[in-house]
Amino acid sequence: MKLQVVGCSHRGTSITVREKLAFGPQQAEAALDHWRRVFPRVEAVLLSTCNRVEVYSATEEENLPTHEQVSGFLARFHGVDPDEVTPHLYHSVGEEGVKHLFTVTCSLDSMVVGEPQILNQVKQAYQTATQHDATGPLLHSAFQAALMVARRVAAETAIHQRRVSIPSVAVADFAQQIFERFDNKHTVVIGAGEMAEETLRYLRDEGARHITVVNRHVERADQLAAEWNGRAVGWEQLTEALATADLVISTTGASEPIVTLEHFGRIERSRQPRPLFILDLAVPRDFEPAIGQRPDVYLYSIDDLQAACQRNRRDRDRELPAAMRIIEQETGRFMAEWYHRATKPLIQQLRQGWEKPKEEELRRLLNKLPELDDRAKEEIRRAFDRLVNKLLHPPLESLRDESRHGIPRTLLDALAKLFRLKD
Amino acid sequence: MLSGVSILCFAASYAVALILEVSRLLFRSGIRGAVMLGFAAAGLLAHTAYLYYEAVHTTGAPLSSERDWCMVAAWVLAVVYLYLLCYHPRNSFGLFLLPLVLGLIAAGRFLAESEPFAREPASKVWGMLHGSSIVLAAVAVLVGFAAGMMYFGQAWRLKHKLPPGRGLRLPSLEWLERANSRAIVVSVIMLSMGVASGVILNVIRTDQSGSRLPWSDPLVFSTGLMLAWLLLSLLLGAVYKPARAGRKVAYLTVVSFLFLVLTLGVMLFLTQHGGRGTGAAEKGDWSLLCAASEGPFRQEAPVPFFRSVDLEG
Repeated sequence: MKLQVVGCSHRGTSITVREKLAFGPQQAEAALDHWRRVFPRVEAVLLSTCNRVEVYSATEEENLPTHEQVSGFLARFHGVDPDEVTPHLYHSVGEEGVKHLFTVTCSLDSMVVGEPQILNQVKQAYQTATQHDATGPLLHSAFQAALMVARRVAAETAIHQRRVSIPSVAVADFAQQIFERFDNKHTVVIGAGEMAEETLRYLRDEGARHITVVNRHVERADQLAAEWNGRAVGWEQLTEALATADLVISTTGASEPIVTLEHFGRIERSRQPRPLFILDLAVPRDFEPAIGQRPDVYLYSIDDLQAACQRNRRDRDRELPAAMRIIEQETGRFMAEWYHRATKPLIQQLRQGWEKPKEEELRRLLNKLPELDDRAKEEIRRAFDRLVNKLLHPPLESLRDESRHGIPRTLLDALAKLFRLKD
Repeated sequence: MLSGVSILCFAASYAVALILEVSRLLFRSGIRGAVMLGFAAAGLLAHTAYLYYEAVHTTGAPLSSERDWCMVAAWVLAVVYLYLLCYHPRNSFGLFLLPLVLGLIAAGRFLAESEPFAREPASKVWGMLHGSSIVLAAVAVLVGFAAGMMYFGQAWRLKHKLPPGRGLRLPSLEWLERANSRAIVVSVIMLSMGVASGVILNVIRTDQSGSRLPWSDPLVFSTGLMLAWLLLSLLLGAVYKPARAGRKVAYLTVVSFLFLVLTLGVMLFLTQHGGRGTGAAEKGDWSLLCAASEGPFRQEAPVPFFRSVDLEG
């Protein structure tokens, strides 16, 4: 009974190699079908993301496919020379492989540690493999344990809660702390920077619908508004747009602030009193910093957001040891169960071996005592059951204890010989 | 079995829940939420059992003494906390609400009088309406105060551009602003009902015993002041929109809380200690109570606005 992982990731393998081995959804399905034909008795899950390509495999048999066989399979599927990719693929077996799976699922091996997408990608890979009958009891238990460990890490550490990209920090750490919902909020985008687009994507995910684009060039504003399903207005309508705005994202290339404190004072007078979230992503800044001092105005510059990202990164780093400790603990627990699983056939035989004489002796005794009523017979039956369980308890406990450190082969052999059990 | 439930039982449960809330600031735990919910629910269960036992076996009604009044207000606030804990488990409501719950319990246990209020015949319906609406008004003010404090905390963090605290998660400003506005509306409605039912109760009792309303009673005065303030807050919000939004509404709820503290202080120290607390009064003997106070109505048997009456009459 073995488990292994063969693959490559952003750690140590260039994108040139990774892109040669990457699988799209349909390719992954075809590859799994092909795997079942090539290795019919080996379970497999294929995980392919932008940062990694990995094949997790496990079998009840003695031998797993070798590193070369798996890398050869991957290479041949993509029509690549195996020698070209094999040296770039890592190979972890047994406990190391399990630990790797847990680390990946918990997003501790990701390029941006703690990013949440990997968990869904692992789930998706596991579901695809299950739908194509490529998984079995071994990988079921390994992947379900991995998902459980990810939940535990998420609950007991703050590693996933700390965002580290500027748009995600702007939305999750600030905008969502001001507004409960976004579908009834008016978002004004001034200019058209890449960062604004990315932030808007996050806001739209949160439900932002009413978007107004203000740009010096009306054509550009029209183009962006069409892209985001919003409304384009000319530069001369900036004041009106700001008077009705709840969120403002500004990324113009202007060399002077486009909204001064004095200008904002005029806007403020025509605004309904409510919080205003301003994301000034422009350098130099589009809004005079003094505007941030106005009541109910929450103004963030790119530096403010970068500082928040830095703090979050440091917080994530502080959470890493705790997350790693959880992975160590859970790997140990999983491996003990895994090794103990290997003793189950022998335990079954042992139980069956004791069950037969118990039944024979019980029948003989009851035949000799025909005067016993049903209640007495039931009591005797229960006493025999208890006796068998008590006799079996010490060897079973010893097996469980020994399983903590690996499959207890010596003990299994000894039990097999002592009780004349088959293999 | 219920007689074994003491104030300590539920106060300790709430205190443990509060300690667990505080521990959120220090470390993370996967099971803390469930444990916290367990302690809060156990506290509420014990609290309910205590109030039930008191109502059935001791005072005859859940709002028939100052102590009962504090305990019922704490119970309603604990229900609000448990509701918020279930529906918004990630937010630290307990840090703001549980000290208020424990404060009310402590006030009920150590400061409030456990003797029943006046026992003169009075309308059960008006008495119940008076007591319960005053309790709900006080709870609304307390919830508004907690929401106001959370608003200031959240606004301060956002103004200082700090990411959300490790263990201290607060609701959004929009949510808190809504909670503040609703707290003011609920407290105005409830307090108006409480005061109106108190007046009617006194009119009924005046007809029965020939006594007159004690308008000079400090409790009547402070309750009236609080109602006036709450009405003013509501009016201000209706005619001046900025008062309905942002930190202004939070300020209004915090000031309302100060009025509530003033009224509670009057109830616990001035009226009680200046009246029954002197030891002059027998259980529920309002004529003796009034004899200990100044004013032209000292021989009368009033029902102060900020009190309920024994529902058994």
